[in-house]
Amino acid sequence: MTAPLLSIRDLHTSFYTESGVARAVDGVSFDIGAGETLGIVGESGCGKSVTALSILRLIQPPGRIETGSVIEFGGKNLVTLDDADIRDIRGNRISMIFQEPMSALNPVFTVGDQVAEVARVHAGMGRRDAWERAVEMLELTGMPDAEARARQYPHQLSGGMRQRVLIAMALMMKPALVIADEPTTALDVTIQAQILDLLLDLQKKIGTSILMITHDLGVIAETASRVIVMYAGEVVEQAEVDELFAKPHHPYTEGLMHSMPHIGHDQERLNVIPGTVPAPTEWPSGCRFRERCPYSWDLCESEHPPLYEIGSGHVSRCHLAIEPERRNNPHPPLVVQAGVAAA
Amino acid sequence: MPGQIQDSAATRAARPRESPLALGVRRILRRPSSRVAFFVLAVIVLVGLLAPLVAPYNPSAQPDIVALKDLPPSLAHPFGTDPYSRDVLSRVIYGARLSLMIGVLATIVSLTVGVAYGAISGYAGGFLDAVMMRVLDAFLSIPRLLLLIGVLVAWPGLSIGALVVFLGLTGWFGLSRIVRGQVLALKHAEFVTAAQALGASRRRILWRHLLPNLVSPIVVAATLGVAHVIVLEAGLSYLGIGVPPPLASWGNIIQDGADQPATLWWMSLFPGLFMVLTVMTLNVLGEALRDTYERR
Repeated sequence: MTAPLLSIRDLHTSFYTESGVARAVDGVSFDIGAGETLGIVGESGCGKSVTALSILRLIQPPGRIETGSVIEFGGKNLVTLDDADIRDIRGNRISMIFQEPMSALNPVFTVGDQVAEVARVHAGMGRRDAWERAVEMLELTGMPDAEARARQYPHQLSGGMRQRVLIAMALMMKPALVIADEPTTALDVTIQAQILDLLLDLQKKIGTSILMITHDLGVIAETASRVIVMYAGEVVEQAEVDELFAKPHHPYTEGLMHSMPHIGHDQERLNVIPGTVPAPTEWPSGCRFRERCPYSWDLCESEHPPLYEIGSGHVSRCHLAIEPERRNNPHPPLVVQAGVAAA
Repeated sequence: MPGQIQDSAATRAARPRESPLALGVRRILRRPSSRVAFFVLAVIVLVGLLAPLVAPYNPSAQPDIVALKDLPPSLAHPFGTDPYSRDVLSRVIYGARLSLMIGVLATIVSLTVGVAYGAISGYAGGFLDAVMMRVLDAFLSIPRLLLLIGVLVAWPGLSIGALVVFLGLTGWFGLSRIVRGQVLALKHAEFVTAAQALGASRRRILWRHLLPNLVSPIVVAATLGVAHVIVLEAGLSYLGIGVPPPLASWGNIIQDGADQPATLWWMSLFPGLFMVLTVMTLNVLGEALRDTYERR
């Protein structure tokens, strides 16, 4: 790979709460290439959104990015950039699409004004020029009747149209990287596909990279070329998308795949991964997935697994890499055993 | 059928832009009580604005201090005359002008200080917020009227401009609490993070993204604030430390007849009536605004 567009090394983001220090992102490293779509997948609380917010330095107190973390972009470390410089990057070189388009839009301004504001802040455009750019941008996102819609308030638009507005705002300055944080989660299934197609289409036109954050493996399969699986604040597996779906290595990835419903399979109940993500204030020692894992053994308790190299560009944070035969002998996970004992 | 759907989408798109504030005002005027209040207030404001055209006499002229003094209401002087033979109707009309002007200007002072103080305190948070709120608590612990009387007695003969400033400077404490609370609640809203993600500065976020969301509570506070200032000004003028005579304000007119309230009843009835009407209509409108704003 040529020099990556964005390079994250050893990112630690913690929240200093009254109940302790929550290490929401705990030593994450990855690269994004130019024009690439990288997917990050994981369940709620695994740290994927905090990773996204960290890239733009949008972590609010009591949270903070620990010193030593490096987010390299355009030859600069975003973590140590001063406020004016990071503002210059936000919305301009790196932009973000939020999950819930209704709450990400200001209710008291027309959507056209909000799209135009990006051009006014970053390109120093006048009111009229910026407005025209905004309408053009909205047309580009396939907004029907863009000129009239631009004069409306967020509550007057449908969910799909609002998400088009957010996309117009994010792509206004033709950024090098767009972070899409669950961009389709709040939308109807039929609209989801439209919005994903639109994003990929605009990506081709503008040549931007996309960091696609989602809990939905379907979205990943449709959009990403490379996937990172996060669990408990860490990267647990990384691979090309085809490789990951064909040969998931980490038991957590495997669990995610199994919990997807399959059409045609006669199945009474959906498979689930037992238990929940542990609290970020006290990650368990050793492997953080150990208690929910059907393969764990004593090594998993005594030693925190490193990222093992499984294949070309495929890494996994699981000791099964050194004892693969254990995969043939699954056992009920510890959380299930504990549940039985308690009952 | 598809044609029908297109039609409804087209009409929806064609609807003219209407800001939340305009929407609120329209909703308020749907109530009969607020419509009446709005109409009455509009008449009083108009009369005040057009005072030189509407008033039958010069409000300070003393045409005949012996023959024309203390006259009860008649056709020539519908509200009677005062002990200096001045026409009370003309004085009440000019009083409307002055009292409303003082009410509005003092409230503008209050809004400016209160919004800035509350917004900065709420947005900054942390230590600065704590200090600013304790200072506010200290101010709030002194009754406003007492504070004003103290200031005005200490500096007798203040100009109307100074009076306006003092009325304004003692009236922003409550408002700044409201603004702070709202900013505190809104500053973690997702649209604020979104604005940050688009590169907006802190100042831009506070003034351009947060404050416009507070217009409704601010308008409510302003409406009720004007009514409060009018009552305060009248009270201070009645005590002789407000608007300096011979200028006509509602409080001054009542003061002029204060020696003989039983015989010169028209001197307290008419200005008092106008004051009560103004304050009542302002309060009705303020409450109606608050209701629509809180229902949302």
